[in-house]
Amino acid sequence: MTKIGVLRDIKARKGVAANEIARRAYLYVARNQTLPPQVRYQAQLQLNTFGRYTRPTTVKNRCTVSGRGRGIMSEFGLCRFQFRLQALQGQIPGVKKASW
Amino acid sequence: MVSIAPSRLAALVKTRCTVFQTSYNPTSIRTGAKYLRARLRGPSMTDYYPPTLSLSSIIRQFPEMELVDAAEKQRLQDVEDRKKRGKGAPKKAKSKGSSFCNPVFHRSFF
Repeated sequence: MTKIGVLRDIKARKGVAANEIARRAYLYVARNQTLPPQVRYQAQLQLNTFGRYTRPTTVKNRCTVSGRGRGIMSEFGLCRFQFRLQALQGQIPGVKKASW
Repeated sequence: MVSIAPSRLAALVKTRCTVFQTSYNPTSIRTGAKYLRARLRGPSMTDYYPPTLSLSSIIRQFPEMELVDAAEKQRLQDVEDRKKRGKGAPKKAKSKGSSFCNPVFHRSFF
């Protein structure tokens, strides 16, 4: 069963991908100091009309196995516990338990 | 140390910009170019989770095959049975004040 947090994250990722180009265009206009302030203000208003799940900051890397939101190792996309399990089973290439 | 005239330095920067094809921006005014220059992050974002197969998605994709999800059917049946026994989900509150409800009198008597 998928966690609601993962479903929300997938929704955010899809939203970001779908609206990225339009958002970038508005950002370019709004942040461009060479353009008249009226135009920049209108662009900023347009940016504010985009929904919550179109902003890249709403996307959070979660564990791809367990869906956990904290303690994620971004190189592997796994949370600390799933990383440990898979590493001990030898499923992650190049990772070995240290002992000295 | 020989001091170099600012106009000469500006000319140098201008030439450098033409050589390396960068935009000449002596006042460091914000042009918003970084929003156009940055790579698009959407495609890599959508690839983060591995694709999963679920029965409900298959059923939704091929409605003409008329597949049946037994577990989902059972769940809906259970919900119906609970409703008949007055154990269904409560009605949505019309106003903020009516959201408080004494659990003893909560059951519907009709």
